[in-house]
Amino acid sequence: METKILVSKLVNDIVSWKIRSSTELVEETLNTLEYIIKDSKTLDSLALNVIYTINEVIKVRPTAAMLINCSRDILLELSNVVSNKPKLSEAKEILLGRIKRIKSRMASNIERIATIGANRIIPGDVIMTSAYSKTVMKILEKALEQGKKFEVFITESRPGDDGKIVASELSKLGLKVTLIVDSAMRHFMKYTTRVFLGAEAVAANGAVISKVGSSLMALIAHEARVRVFVAASILKFNYETVFGELVKIPQAPEETILPRKVKEKIGKNVKTEIPILDVIPPEYVDAIITEYGVIAPQAIPLLMRDLLKTWPLKAADVNGIMNSILEVLKSG
Amino acid sequence: MKYPKEVHQIADDIRSMKIRGAGRIARAAAKALKIAAEKYEGPADVESFITYIDNVAKILLETRPTAVSLPNAVMYITSRLRRKRPVNVNEAILIVRKTADDFINYSLTATERIGLIGSRRILSGETILTHCNSTAALSVIIHAHRQGKDIKVYATETRPKYQGHITAKTLLAEGIDVTLIPDAAVRYIMKKIDKVIVGADTVAANGAVVNKIGTSNIALAAHEARVRVFVAAETYKFSPATVIGELVEIEERDPREIVDEKFLKENPNVIVRNPAFDVTPPEYIDAIITEEGLIPPQAAYLILIEKFGWVIQDYFISKYSLREEDEDWYQKS
Repeated sequence: METKILVSKLVNDIVSWKIRSSTELVEETLNTLEYIIKDSKTLDSLALNVIYTINEVIKVRPTAAMLINCSRDILLELSNVVSNKPKLSEAKEILLGRIKRIKSRMASNIERIATIGANRIIPGDVIMTSAYSKTVMKILEKALEQGKKFEVFITESRPGDDGKIVASELSKLGLKVTLIVDSAMRHFMKYTTRVFLGAEAVAANGAVISKVGSSLMALIAHEARVRVFVAASILKFNYETVFGELVKIPQAPEETILPRKVKEKIGKNVKTEIPILDVIPPEYVDAIITEYGVIAPQAIPLLMRDLLKTWPLKAADVNGIMNSILEVLKSG
Repeated sequence: MKYPKEVHQIADDIRSMKIRGAGRIARAAAKALKIAAEKYEGPADVESFITYIDNVAKILLETRPTAVSLPNAVMYITSRLRRKRPVNVNEAILIVRKTADDFINYSLTATERIGLIGSRRILSGETILTHCNSTAALSVIIHAHRQGKDIKVYATETRPKYQGHITAKTLLAEGIDVTLIPDAAVRYIMKKIDKVIVGADTVAANGAVVNKIGTSNIALAAHEARVRVFVAAETYKFSPATVIGELVEIEERDPREIVDEKFLKENPNVIVRNPAFDVTPPEYIDAIITEEGLIPPQAAYLILIEKFGWVIQDYFISKYSLREEDEDWYQKS
């Protein structure tokens, strides 16, 4: 019961856009998993609850590559635990240890990306960004700490109006920040020297999946010969796309742009289409800033091969691992 | 001098955007001049009347800086008043009343004609993207629908003031399939779009179109996807001042259209900028649909000389001290 309530709260926070950044989405999922693991009374219920949680979260955000990659790590660990059948306390320790390592890796990745990204900011820069990216905000914070003077344009970023929160947070750091509507991107691109964007996932061809509007901003920057940087940990690499899987874009609930009362005024037959993400083709991205350095988007597969020392890349299917764990539990 | 309260009312309504859309603004301004003429109570000499009308014109012109339909409507009337050299006030009043009516009728039929001409470019089965709420663009879409063509429309919500909601309501009332999308999703949606149809606030001498902020985002995304872009614009939206090199001023509106008072109080250091228009370069526009026919944007000059030759001549004479006879060739309309 407890698990279901926790998970439904988490899922609700994701769908209602309370959790805005895909990094935060993973952090919150890990927090929930930690709580559930600590609270489990038997090894079986622990395994079932972990699988249930991961399954539910991935269902609402199947595009979040870092979520899938971190889940895979946890599930592989869980798979070992289930087949070795240690004592409950020992199992908890193993899994919590794994989660802790993932968390600290994520934290150090953001630090490294922020340092590398901040180096790309030059005093006097006018940076444009969209949506709520924890990594991009960290880059800007770092550049500010380095004493660089620059300013930021942030788009409102509907649906979800992330830009208002970003503007508020950046201004509190002491940064000169200007909030504009999404439609004003091209109008202000003339005054912009660099674009920084976050990512939900990076596909095998170097395409970047990011909050809707990012691809429009990248296109507009490209037209104006303004450089586009995407800040993304390689934990956001989408392995499935290596094998030709298409990324399906989730939709936001209608109320995010059309409250019920407004809809009644317009007419009940009005439809909405509210993608939360879109795809930036690699040719509009000048570089991806990863924890391993600045790299052309098209070279991401090479970086992956060098890191994993194998090609083609192998990554177990998350559903496959879950099913095999469930089978072990059933037979056991 | 006192001016009729209707004049101030119309000026206020244009400023507050209660009267919106280039065509409606132009007709409202013509109506204000007509009322002002009818209610004239000043001295019975033509000079005083012309000064009075000029002052009313000034009140109207100060309301919104970008939309050219406003000065064009006003100049349509004031220039004719001057050129016809009335001999007494009664004749002068009559001229203003008649030219104002002429302008209003012409403007209304122009929208219809644009609808007819533009609708011929739309094929059954096509999906159309529109932005903001343009009477001329909607006229094209509605005419196509009434001709029995099966069309589907995507409308941007159009922040900050959500004019897309009015567009959706109007099209739904016609029985047209409408889907609202956030402005940020225009590139995402472009793959599904066959044609883009938008309106214009001002067309400049080089064919650049000044329209609701976000139009240039859409035109660029359409250009990238090889989707045709049509601008529906009455000829009174062409700007004669741009022929003599004037820039079109982009109006920046109140931040409270984007964020609420509470946000501004809590975030005193956040700058909020709210330009109402942007400029779409002519190379992203396939054609401008006017009531006189379809033209490539680069041929805007043609319309300007045909329709506003004398206004341009006046500009040259007043701003560059050129002699009237040197500029004779401008005098066509």
